[in-house]
Amino acid sequence: MQNKTFKVFVVLIAIIIALMFIIPILWMLATSFKTDQEAFTAGIKWLPKVFTLENYQYSLSDNPDTPVLKWIGNSLFVGISGTLLVLIVDTLAAYGLARLDVPFKKLFISIFIGSLTIPWVITFLPLYMEFNKFGLLDTYAVLILPYTANAFGVFLLYQYFRGFPKELEEAALLDGANKWQVFMKVVLPSARPVIWTLAIFTFMSIYNDFLWPLVTTNSPEMRTITTGIAIMQQGSFVSSPGRLMALTSIATIPAVLLFIIGQRSFIKGVNQTGIK
Amino acid sequence: MKKSKWKSQLTSSLFVLPYLLLFIFFLLIPIGYGAWISLNNWDLLNPIHEFVGFKNYSKIFDSSSYLNDLFFEGLKNTIQFVVYSVPLLIVIGLGLALLVNALPRRIKGLFRTIYFIPYAVSVSVVAIIWLWILDTNSGLINQYLQNLNLPIIPWLTDMPWAWISLVIATLWWTIGFNMVIFINALNDVPEELYEAGALDGASRWQRFIYITLPSIKPTMLFVLITSTIASFNIYGQPFLMTRGGPGTSTKVLLMNIVDEAFKQRQLGNAAAMSLLMAFIMIIISVLQFRITNRKE
Repeated sequence: MQNKTFKVFVVLIAIIIALMFIIPILWMLATSFKTDQEAFTAGIKWLPKVFTLENYQYSLSDNPDTPVLKWIGNSLFVGISGTLLVLIVDTLAAYGLARLDVPFKKLFISIFIGSLTIPWVITFLPLYMEFNKFGLLDTYAVLILPYTANAFGVFLLYQYFRGFPKELEEAALLDGANKWQVFMKVVLPSARPVIWTLAIFTFMSIYNDFLWPLVTTNSPEMRTITTGIAIMQQGSFVSSPGRLMALTSIATIPAVLLFIIGQRSFIKGVNQTGIK
Repeated sequence: MKKSKWKSQLTSSLFVLPYLLLFIFFLLIPIGYGAWISLNNWDLLNPIHEFVGFKNYSKIFDSSSYLNDLFFEGLKNTIQFVVYSVPLLIVIGLGLALLVNALPRRIKGLFRTIYFIPYAVSVSVVAIIWLWILDTNSGLINQYLQNLNLPIIPWLTDMPWAWISLVIATLWWTIGFNMVIFINALNDVPEELYEAGALDGASRWQRFIYITLPSIKPTMLFVLITSTIASFNIYGQPFLMTRGGPGTSTKVLLMNIVDEAFKQRQLGNAAAMSLLMAFIMIIISVLQFRITNRKE
């Protein structure tokens, strides 16, 4: 019986904490449907007295200084192409290092893994200067390429490929397949869960990055949604909580939905990375 | 035979080549380039750079130089944030993991998802949401305080509240990640250990102290090191929420580095500060690793 009271108690606490996690998001949504006058009025009203969509219309309207849809498009484009690039180069490198006769293999592996300990702040300014030198600031290249040097994915996939049974590949090789065919037809399909995990990790870190896109872009149409919002907060939206909250809702809802769909594999992935 | 081995090595190398090139261009070269910049008097607008050796570094340690203040004031603020946030990130992360694991199986996934949702939100959204909740006059929290006839709190404009606000927003944003890692670790603790403990008459608390904690120690270390690194890299929250204020009391080291590089345009100084910051971060990670592993 004591166990039952304990269970009820645990569920109650879980609900209270869940409210603390959700209330900020609900308050954001509630404010986004209010007029500014109402938002500033004293007293807590969860439901707006005057339900308005004006904030959303304003945020989404085609304003040359604040092209919100373009920003979301930029973020998606940068996130997706960066992720694809990472997946392609990382799976190739990891497979090569785990299975193929690459010269200086051991050296490469230790350099790549060693690079994981290097704090990101070391490369931040010189990377900026490098892109500056090639005139690539304020382009998609500067928003995508720097993320591809991270050895995390190589490390993650390398560990997976090492544990993958060799027999399947050997059978395919006996059937006359070459390395490339074995990689494409046998190895890649088997690694789908790990690849999916890496994809979510990579996409999230590119999509949500702040400081790098903030300093490397300056024209309104090159902003990502994360940096665009930050700049808007200081500009035309500063005195309008309604518009600001509509804007953040627009930016948040797709990411949250994607995350809820993807989080199961994300969590499974945390398990596989050997983070234990 | 020799030739075909040579050929095979070549085709195998092609697998590694694309990543290797990206690694060289966007990691190795920047590391060397950054070290070089830090040895020069490097003005962002001046195309001529004068080699000055370690002068930028010695300026950081020279108490009469403004760089000294910039670096150590920023470092002090960053370390304050690390000290306030990391213990909570670990304790509450573990607490949430234990809570989720104690829930009935049917609703476990639901609550885990709810606690993890803010992790999908970007830092600018986190800042805007919390600025609005913590607003002194119209903020949700102060309005509730007023309803209860309690004094309102200047969340973002007074100390120590500014730190508290930054820590709260950070916890809300990132704690779910640590929780997920802890849940995985807890699920890996062998069930037999708990059964044996229960047979010996150990209480819930005793089982936690003597079975759970020792079993998840490697995860603790992992979370400790990654949380410390993440907190060291804090930038977005103070940049957007307090703008380093009140005064400069939440102006963290990374904000000072960015200002020195892009406002003062003294890239040589800023690069030297970055390298020192990275050096301190590496030392702290190594210390954390050593200290935690020594006890075994």
